[in-house]
Amino acid sequence: MTDNIVDKVAVQTEDSRNQGRRAFLKGSAAVAGGVMFTSAANAAGGAGFDPKKAVAPYAGKAEITDVLQDGAARKSLGFGVRKYPYGMPSPFEKEVQRRTLEWLTPDSMASITMSPIHQLNGIITPNGLHFERYHGGVPTINPDDHRLVIHGLVERPLIFTMDDLKRFPSISRIHFIECPANGALEWKGVQLNSVQWTHGMMSCVEYTGVRLSDLLKEAGIKPEGKWIIPEGADASGMSRSVPVELAMDDCFVAYAQNGEALRREQGYPIRLVVPGCEANMWVKYLRRIMVHDVPIQHREETSKYTELMPDGTAQRFSWYMEANSVITYPSPDFKMQGPGKYYIRGLAWSGRGKVANVDISIDGGKNWKEAHFTSVVLDKAWTRFEMEWEWDGSEAFLMSRVTDETGYVQPPMPQMRNLEGTNNVYHRTAMVTWRVHGWDQGKNGGMIENVQY
Amino acid sequence: MFNTKQTLVAASVAILFSGSALAMSGNSDSKAGDKIDGKYAANYAEIIKKADGKYLDKAVIEAILGADETHGRNGLVGKLDPANPYSFEVDDSIDGGNHGNAQCKIPAAFTEVHESAAKHYHDDSSFVANGFGTPIAEAALSKWNITVDGDGKGLPSADVGMTIEEGGKVYVQFCGMCHGDFGEGAKGYLALAVDQNLVTSSFTDPAPMKAVGNYWPYATTIFDYIRRTMPFWTPNASFIGDAGYLGMTGYILQSNYIKIDDEGNELDDETFFNSEMLMKMNKYMPNQGNFFCDHRPVIHNERCMTNCPDAQVGGNGKGDATDYREARKLPDGTPQYNVPQRMHEDPPGVGHSGM
Repeated sequence: MTDNIVDKVAVQTEDSRNQGRRAFLKGSAAVAGGVMFTSAANAAGGAGFDPKKAVAPYAGKAEITDVLQDGAARKSLGFGVRKYPYGMPSPFEKEVQRRTLEWLTPDSMASITMSPIHQLNGIITPNGLHFERYHGGVPTINPDDHRLVIHGLVERPLIFTMDDLKRFPSISRIHFIECPANGALEWKGVQLNSVQWTHGMMSCVEYTGVRLSDLLKEAGIKPEGKWIIPEGADASGMSRSVPVELAMDDCFVAYAQNGEALRREQGYPIRLVVPGCEANMWVKYLRRIMVHDVPIQHREETSKYTELMPDGTAQRFSWYMEANSVITYPSPDFKMQGPGKYYIRGLAWSGRGKVANVDISIDGGKNWKEAHFTSVVLDKAWTRFEMEWEWDGSEAFLMSRVTDETGYVQPPMPQMRNLEGTNNVYHRTAMVTWRVHGWDQGKNGGMIENVQY
Repeated sequence: MFNTKQTLVAASVAILFSGSALAMSGNSDSKAGDKIDGKYAANYAEIIKKADGKYLDKAVIEAILGADETHGRNGLVGKLDPANPYSFEVDDSIDGGNHGNAQCKIPAAFTEVHESAAKHYHDDSSFVANGFGTPIAEAALSKWNITVDGDGKGLPSADVGMTIEEGGKVYVQFCGMCHGDFGEGAKGYLALAVDQNLVTSSFTDPAPMKAVGNYWPYATTIFDYIRRTMPFWTPNASFIGDAGYLGMTGYILQSNYIKIDDEGNELDDETFFNSEMLMKMNKYMPNQGNFFCDHRPVIHNERCMTNCPDAQVGGNGKGDATDYREARKLPDGTPQYNVPQRMHEDPPGVGHSGM
């Protein structure tokens, strides 16, 4: 499950295919299930593309007759090459930003920003919009001076320069990275009417680097070495204890992100990648890996990143992120534009492998329909889903529910809350609900609201 | 802590399942000889693999644990032993360390992880180093190796330290302005010594503050962490040094009333606080026994498609989708985020002190 990167590409279920066809075949008496599709479309008996029928929905709409004028872009030259040796987004995209909530943490050096996931497309997060989470600010490290040491329970402690690391066999992998506090604000109820706030503590990028197993074997890891203790070169000296089985599975030391060097915010010059697991384990500015016989019980695996239960006990060593999903459109960041056809889209992901199915409910969880995937389906990566929805303008409760390849089905919020209470902070991975207000002649402004069960 | 785990599993496994898409017949009636400790199928990895990794599927669980109430999916509670692939296991105190440094593991049921680790490591007999790195002596890492583990390995020698009174002065000078002179917290930074009850009875109870005395399982972590990262603006400060960091550690432990022996004695101001005293106190951290290994997922729902049971619909289990909770509104009626803090009802930063 962890090694085959592209097993299936944009797998559509029979259900979702039929759903896509429905619009095309609407009104055709010849339809008798999916099997008929091919023959119906190709049949010579007048069932081919009918342009007049195709544009029928536009009938009666007022036509624009004013002559279109050329804009400035058509009348003068644009800017030339090398104006921006490193390209920037259009100024009209200036609102697409990662954002923070200033009240979340006492200062900005140990804080977090959220990715604008409602404004992203596909499964790749641009480097400049990758969410940030620091425990001690962002250092600016000269890669020529940076070193990675592997020591402890190894035959031959080794030190590597960046050039050394790049000589190793490389791998490139697309993985999501998620702070376990993603969604934490919503344990006690609804706080924020935006997907950026409810689910933005994550991103998904392509990493390139060196297998951690290659580096550990290079130093001759000893059989009594059961834990890997990665540590950062930044002010926080970020550290976690990673069991050796996990380290040898699919972890790697990345030096590139989306084809270029890591950004400083994401650990330049190198970071650990622990696919599917809590982002705080993906130690940035990695400078030391100690092979050890016991976990070190670091602050970030005892005081923090442990989950308090209602009875006062707490879960620790939470590594994997459970399967999760969210509808990014329509979401509270958007307004409905009147009754009619919509394509509900969103993101699904699982720390335990590939996404198997995503189902969508428009009635608050009573009935579900399977969505189809519009992206590749990768191991421990974002997967895009989409489903056609004919909105009749009445109040609706949109929910998405992921099932991953282990058979885990994303639970509803009341179930998770009843089990884990509301002071858990981390791993709030239950479903969310978007309430689409009834259209009512536009009186409600097309409002979409984050509500909770 | 075992009880909690049992409660959690018991509360969750029984919820909602109504048949399975997977036909696993033939696997569920393994003979006693095929079972480990007479409890679960010895070929569990094979069964999971055969089901494409769907280890949470009802049929797979039954094939491994049996179908009856005691040993089937409903009986997962009885399966909480470290060898069981479904126990998502707790294995505390296995290292023989002086206080039981807890070790958790990748669950056995995550077969693809173990298989991949075997392929990349345990079974890789042909690996020979590329020779790309440069050997380095452990001694050359003395400045970098700042790790102190849960057993106290990595602590300074016993002659390094200072009295609690001296440690308190260092603490007040470098820490008090953000954490309070007595660890009570300040300026929105985390409190270090508040003794709040971690048990909550209602979902609307405010989040208990998790401080050293009422939450942290190990005292060693304090020394490791503050030497590593504090004071926030000048971490790992040579002007504080190991003696100063130990003194601060002692003062924080004293502020949390941590015991130093079975009689319940506490640190007094004249005590010379060193690594030996720290390790003595490490086993008296009050909350140490209240942690258990992550055993997710504890929720095993079926993928219901139509007319789903009320427990999966809105309205907190009553099946009414229109029974929902909204964000609190500002006085002008607009739904807004973080109302208590915007209304200055809560101090900033405290509401989510876990961050």
